Amino acid sequence: MQTSQLISRRTIEHTLLWAAVLLVTLIALYPFAWALITSFKPQRDALESSMIPFLQFKPIMDNWNAELGRTGEENIKALKNSAIIAIGATVIALTLGSTAGYALARFRFGIGNRNLVSWFLSQRFLPPVATLIPFFLLLQRFDLLDTYVGMIVVNATFVMPFAVLIMRDFFADIPKDLEEAALVDGASHLQVFLRVALPIAGPALVAAGIICFTFAWNEFLFASVLTVRDAQPFTVKIISTGTVRGIHFGFVSTRLLMAVVPPLVLSLFVQRYIVRGLTMGAVKG
Amino acid sequence: MRKLIVLLIVIALLLPAGNSLVSAQGGPFDGKTPEELFPNAIDDQERQSAWEALMAANLPDARDRFSGQKLTIGVLASGTRGVISGAPYFWREAFEAVTGAELEIIEIPFDQMLTTLTVDFSTNQNTYDAIINASWFYGDYISNEWIIPIDDYINAEGYPKWEPDKVAAPLRQLLQWEGKWYGVVNDGDTQMFYYRRDILEDPQWQAAYEEEMGEPMVVPPRTWQQVYKIAKFFNGKDWNGDGDPDDGISLHLKVGGQGFFHFMSLSAPFAITPAEGDDPTKVTKYDNIYWFDPDDMTPVINSPGHVKALEFLKELAATGSQSQFGWDLGEAWNNFLTGNAVLLFSWGDVGSLAQDPNSSTIKGKLGGAPIPCSEVWYDRELGQFVEDPENPNCVSNLVGASWHGVISSRSDNPDLAYYFLAMQATPPILFWNVVYGWTGVDPSSTTHLFPPAGEATVEDYVNAGYDAGDVQSYITAYGQNLFDFPTTQTYLRIPGTPEYWNILDMRLAQAMVGELSPQEALDQVAEEWEEITDDIGRDYLLEIYQASIGYTPAE
Amino acid sequence: MKKRNRAGLFFLLPGVVWVLCFTLFPLLYSLGLSFTDKRIGRRPRPVQFIGFENYADIFSDNRVSEVLEMTVFIVLGSVLLTVVLGILVAWLFNHDIPGLRVFRAILTLPIFAAPIALGQLGMILFNEQSGPVNQMLRAIGAGTVYWITDPWSARFAVLIVDVWQWTPFVFIIVLAAMQSIPDELYEAARLDTSSAWTLFRKVTFPLILPAIGTVTMLRLVETFKILDIPYTLTGGGPGVSTQTYSYYIYLTGLRHFDMGYASALAYLLVVVAIIVSSIFFWRVRERYEVQ
Repeated sequence: MQTSQLISRRTIEHTLLWAAVLLVTLIALYPFAWALITSFKPQRDALESSMIPFLQFKPIMDNWNAELGRTGEENIKALKNSAIIAIGATVIALTLGSTAGYALARFRFGIGNRNLVSWFLSQRFLPPVATLIPFFLLLQRFDLLDTYVGMIVVNATFVMPFAVLIMRDFFADIPKDLEEAALVDGASHLQVFLRVALPIAGPALVAAGIICFTFAWNEFLFASVLTVRDAQPFTVKIISTGTVRGIHFGFVSTRLLMAVVPPLVLSLFVQRYIVRGLTMGAVKG
Repeated sequence: MRKLIVLLIVIALLLPAGNSLVSAQGGPFDGKTPEELFPNAIDDQERQSAWEALMAANLPDARDRFSGQKLTIGVLASGTRGVISGAPYFWREAFEAVTGAELEIIEIPFDQMLTTLTVDFSTNQNTYDAIINASWFYGDYISNEWIIPIDDYINAEGYPKWEPDKVAAPLRQLLQWEGKWYGVVNDGDTQMFYYRRDILEDPQWQAAYEEEMGEPMVVPPRTWQQVYKIAKFFNGKDWNGDGDPDDGISLHLKVGGQGFFHFMSLSAPFAITPAEGDDPTKVTKYDNIYWFDPDDMTPVINSPGHVKALEFLKELAATGSQSQFGWDLGEAWNNFLTGNAVLLFSWGDVGSLAQDPNSSTIKGKLGGAPIPCSEVWYDRELGQFVEDPENPNCVSNLVGASWHGVISSRSDNPDLAYYFLAMQATPPILFWNVVYGWTGVDPSSTTHLFPPAGEATVEDYVNAGYDAGDVQSYITAYGQNLFDFPTTQTYLRIPGTPEYWNILDMRLAQAMVGELSPQEALDQVAEEWEEITDDIGRDYLLEIYQASIGYTPAE
Repeated sequence: MKKRNRAGLFFLLPGVVWVLCFTLFPLLYSLGLSFTDKRIGRRPRPVQFIGFENYADIFSDNRVSEVLEMTVFIVLGSVLLTVVLGILVAWLFNHDIPGLRVFRAILTLPIFAAPIALGQLGMILFNEQSGPVNQMLRAIGAGTVYWITDPWSARFAVLIVDVWQWTPFVFIIVLAAMQSIPDELYEAARLDTSSAWTLFRKVTFPLILPAIGTVTMLRLVETFKILDIPYTLTGGGPGVSTQTYSYYIYLTGLRHFDMGYASALAYLLVVVAIIVSSIFFWRVRERYEVQ
């Protein structure tokens, strides 16, 4: 009697929980799903609430063909620019982040490691708009406006805190026995770092890299001011979809999907590091 | 057939090798099919008519001079078949064929134009050889020496021939500065008035109107006050028979768009008085003044006439959809073109867009009229309002960008840039652009308008697929807007104009959604304008302002 | 020992130099700019040192009070809503049900989408005539909401998009904190009560409080920076009702090119960010010491 009551109560609880979980998931996914469906709709159907392809509307490839096909070379170029900038920034951030992270995890500095870490991370707290103008004047001074180099430097600066932090935490968590043994054998610190520490840091590097890549890929404000043509990334391209006929829902959908899909897919690989990476290490995930 | 292809390939390969060989082989378009030259055309009719226009343009072969060069132009961002940016894309392959050069088109979103162009010039990026430019940038361009005069090119040999003399006189001044030509004609802007001919001329609706409003409907309306009554009458009624209530007016009022132009064209007859005497266009301290007092740069924008016009615009907007405050051009036009609004005032685009059956349900139902006059206006000299419904105050406008090409003073190949701009302005190509509404290129020259001022005929348009009744009404009204008004609102062309207009745009939008009263909004504008004026330099601006409106201070 | 420290410096220096060059230098530069009347795009004239004039102007600038209204609304609204909703969802996912992990990963997706694209997405979703949000509202008889053209509705539209993007962020952090609570604590508490609410109040909440504090501060700083979403979603409109403080800095510096004044405005924001981040680091920095 009591057990069956318990079971039925648990079942109800579970059902409710699942319902709530599904609802929350639906809310998180619905906008993306809506954009995906709209990207296969002709303009006149885009305004209808139909959701099921073939049954409720006839899916077409026109939007994708237009945005990626013959007239899409501008979009492809912008996507390529986004990739070059984000990858370049990620490589720099990882290089500097892993060395700095290693130093902060293995050596003790007079100034206090905690102060150094805070100092590295504080960059993330600055409003980007505050450094926009100096960066603009700086790049102009060195003739780096609208170049990959300029954009890579800017983005590397923004995403480096993530790399420093994730790498520091990783190195701090692994035992230093192996490294110490190698040092005793006469290896230099650099050799130890390159041959012993770094090779086992693969997963952390991938995680830090993906987080860095995502934030660099998504950056809009600086790109809109510091690039015109040659190095213009996709986030700037995405805002010019207006036409004489009003907002073309299909084009808007295709473009925003192109912008969000790469980081979304990558993010699924770094679940383990999201918490720590995004909270500047304040919370252990 | 295959031999022919091989031969063509050989010729193509030889192209860079020797230009003399090429000119011996024939014209620049030999062996090119319309499909190759116009890949962006959507149907045969469009492709064929473009091909004919291209042939008629009689472009000089310039491959020996420009082969291998690259031309970069900046243009309003609206895509490969959008307003203003569509035409350069459409003619790109033809231009590349006739010059052997490469054309790069960079699109700049409307609300980023000021930032992008100013940054580009003032940091010596010098990205653009030419810019399809909005006329309000001239003050900044000229004072910074960012663009060059083109007088020497106009009669030079070896360039496409266009007709500066045929540009409608009011528009011509926008392409010049102190008597020198800087711009090559392209788009001509003035806001006119549109209505649904079928509805307003329907005797049943006219009877219903008279019954409800107690007076006969004036068709087309001549004054804003009449416009308001008609809009109010039709708003909320299902006059198109689709089962839903429909709109009276359709406006685009989104902040950061081109909504403030509505206010400019509407307020002109409320706030501007023509000069007395023989020449109503004469600029005095009180007459023909819209922006600033011509003696000391005090803003006039918050005069009682301006405020009244803004109050009126708010009332007028209430006869349309609430969503107007979030609409850009496209949405407002769309609303009218798909038959959901009975009235609209905007640029010439609407007249030609209405002819495209793919986007319009109102072909054959369109009426055009000149921009309305006002029965009430403020006389600054008298310091009071004047009301005269019998003799309303009529002031036309050149409101808008009148998008046209200018050449950068930092360009490495200004000759090529001029070639491109002149090609777009050759009568056959320009007329083609005017006729096809999606290009956003509006009538600018007498060749596009009807007699007496113009030389075009209804047949010219009907041949291109226009409804005769529509085009008769639309083009006639456009011509009246440009030629038949006693006076025209002055165009602001001083340095800093885009900044002055940004502020106007923002404050107007606040007034329209009710965050500020019209008086508060315009007072704010005046206050903030004073700051800009002081910042740039009052005396410096005053001199340019006086010259730009043709005012001679009284001694 | 000395040699060891030199090696440490060798690893540390590249990163330090980079940050000095590209963070500290721009910051100092903009501090300097904020005391000048530097402009671009107008006829050239010498840049003048004008002392604290720019800073004084901030307090008499009525645009500042306008944008502060929206900024305070979005900061308070977004922080409060994301934290409350985030805790709720975390509580939901803190149940031991097989299969939840997959959903957890799906829920984190919005964090990684470009805000500029989300603004664009919002533009479609909140379209007044035919967007899905209004279609749904009409279906349940709530009528048409003017998401873009009514000042307060537009503010809420921006808020909703921001909350949608960042609730998952609070959620995963709070969930991590919840999952680090040892089961024994719950078991002990269950002896006294069986109410889920009491358990949450007496056991869970006190233990996740530090994580909530952290995440609140992070959200606070992030929301002050908000610009991308209103930029595309509403263009700052209708009127100026969705312009945020960051948006205003952008407009001042890069639409009106008043770089000196924009720098002064930005510096005020920097000071706020420094205060919040100091509190933050003061709380968490102990764990960064090397033993």
